[in-house]
Amino acid sequence: MPSTDSPYDAVIVGASLAGCAAAIQLGRAGQRVAVVEKQPDPQAYKRTCSHFIQASGVPAIERLGLLEPIEAAGGQRPRVHAWTRWGWVEAPPEQAARGINLRREVLDPMVRSTAAATPGVELMLGWSAERLLREDGAFAGVAVRNPAGEEHDLRARLTIGADGRDSRIAELSEVPVKTSPNARFAYGGYFEGAAPAHAPDATAWFLDPQWAAAFPTDEGLTFYAAMPTKDRLPEFKRDPEAALVKFLADVPEPPPIREGRRVGPVLGKVDMTNRMRRPTAPGLALIGDAALAADPLFGVGCGWAFQSAGWMSDAVLPALAGSEPLEKGLDRYRRRHAKELRGHTFFMHDYSTGRRFNLPEKMMFAAAARDARAAAIIDTYATRQIGPAQMLPRMVPRAIAVNTRHALAR
Amino acid sequence: MSAAVERTTLLAGGTRTRLVQAGPTDAAEAVVFVHGNPGSADDWVRLVGAAGAAGHRALAFDLPDFGETIAPDGFEHTPFGYAEFVAEALEELGVERVQLVLHDFGGPIGLIWAMAHPDALAGIVLIDTGVLPGYSWHSLARIWRTPVLGELFQAITNRSGYRFALNRNEPRGLPREFVETMYDHYDRRTRRAVLKLYRATPDPGGMSENLIGLLAPRDVPALVVWGEHDAYLPASYAAEQRQAFPSADVHVLPASGHWPFADAPETVERLLVEFLSRN
Repeated sequence: MPSTDSPYDAVIVGASLAGCAAAIQLGRAGQRVAVVEKQPDPQAYKRTCSHFIQASGVPAIERLGLLEPIEAAGGQRPRVHAWTRWGWVEAPPEQAARGINLRREVLDPMVRSTAAATPGVELMLGWSAERLLREDGAFAGVAVRNPAGEEHDLRARLTIGADGRDSRIAELSEVPVKTSPNARFAYGGYFEGAAPAHAPDATAWFLDPQWAAAFPTDEGLTFYAAMPTKDRLPEFKRDPEAALVKFLADVPEPPPIREGRRVGPVLGKVDMTNRMRRPTAPGLALIGDAALAADPLFGVGCGWAFQSAGWMSDAVLPALAGSEPLEKGLDRYRRRHAKELRGHTFFMHDYSTGRRFNLPEKMMFAAAARDARAAAIIDTYATRQIGPAQMLPRMVPRAIAVNTRHALAR
Repeated sequence: MSAAVERTTLLAGGTRTRLVQAGPTDAAEAVVFVHGNPGSADDWVRLVGAAGAAGHRALAFDLPDFGETIAPDGFEHTPFGYAEFVAEALEELGVERVQLVLHDFGGPIGLIWAMAHPDALAGIVLIDTGVLPGYSWHSLARIWRTPVLGELFQAITNRSGYRFALNRNEPRGLPREFVETMYDHYDRRTRRAVLKLYRATPDPGGMSENLIGLLAPRDVPALVVWGEHDAYLPASYAAEQRQAFPSADVHVLPASGHWPFADAPETVERLLVEFLSRN
């Protein structure tokens, strides 16, 4: 039973990937952490998710000691093969970064039970956050409702919103939010049977502007995803499974989705508006999708949940240990978050408009399809290990050289 | 891979046309391919072979003044004239039941034939064509339809200009060989025929209402394949085909242009063979 008398060091709202990752790290550092989660079921998991984790997220997962359990549970370590009209973009195998594919059904309970077993962490399942508490102009915890319907105040030095894309904590805190439209919608489902080419590697089709992907995962399953522009929505509303199968089967060099058998429902998400929030306020931090709900097309949500939880924890631990004011740590987190993700987000969300490739994108994809080194640069960027500021100076001259050579050879 | 086809000729409608065929040549039901502009029987070699290999009588022929076929004197270069030619060719071939496969201008031609022979229509495959309610001509057609400008345009189009203009509008580019063959056939006769045909068709969507009224109640089995990036006939018309063919299986190919059978041949072949096997 959680204590409501003495304050916590941190109270986290949301026991999904970001919230649990932060709880594990803060708990291991000796902090007393409450994690409030409105889902009562410890096996709960996020259903509308491609579950793909970009390579950029792997170090944060490894640091939590979760990489080995993930692999032991059947998690795959895919490279990404990208179809473009200029050909396949494939970094040389030894250079291609490897992400993670493990169904959220397996991953979420694993991460949650790791958090629950961490000393200092109290997992409060079935509790919902009602209001933010304030003290001296800063947030100071949350008022929560327990499963019996009774309200308690959970006071904490740091309040952490890890409650996803539609974060209630972010809304209550009234941090500034920027949104940008997403012209695509998403449908996806798990299939068993014939594995796609390149398995266990992942495949993405950049059909310009349509998009599709195949993610082989644990238990011999493959998650197939379609992210078409909204003019395609009527077909998917008519019959989601038929439309998904047809969409994947009609791409160039299609995966064997028609030979597979669907396992579980085909689920969709129609509104994928991009939301960028200021990730801090006095006494408060937002992590994961609550801070930045980026375009799911790029598969960054899960990885960035782990990463932002790590950046936040690293930034606030000195303050929680008493060696500096909390505001200093939060400020450090905010700057880190912007430095790591702002450049990526800018280019991603420009592409979310459903437009076709612009000239620089065409040049870069064409070069990457024609040249292994260019492909390796794109791979490092697309797996979010370097930002545009590191990618462009390497890629632009390479793309010009490769495409010029290609034009002259014809 | 393309299965074996037989290339022969056929005397029909007062001219000798090239015929590409496969499968049992004496069957009364056939899969009949009607090409568009600029096109010819050569467009269909792979698909005729595939339909033949699947056990169907399959055939494609040049329309007059396309491919290598010369129109007879007095031939009427209108959608109705061409539909009449299709009717005469099918009669000559002894075909009584038809599964039509139409592309581009083969659409209006085939649909006019279907209006005149609704009971003979067993199925229909529409590739970047069909009923086009509210459609107004693409810019190239508008040039062709303009007196003098159309003639001038046809006169100055050379091989490299043709290749460039064609590929500029195609998302993946078309196979070199396909474009070269198309240009080889784009001779003076074809150029003149194109001008006449487009000038005889002021309102390409004009027949839609009649077609829909006649065909929709019959719910003819239909497959619609459309390249998403068709620069001439927008892919938004793909789903519209359900107005005339309510049970149509509609596929918009996300990486294709106006010639899906040239830039996504495997996919189109698979869809066609599956469709034929369902019927």
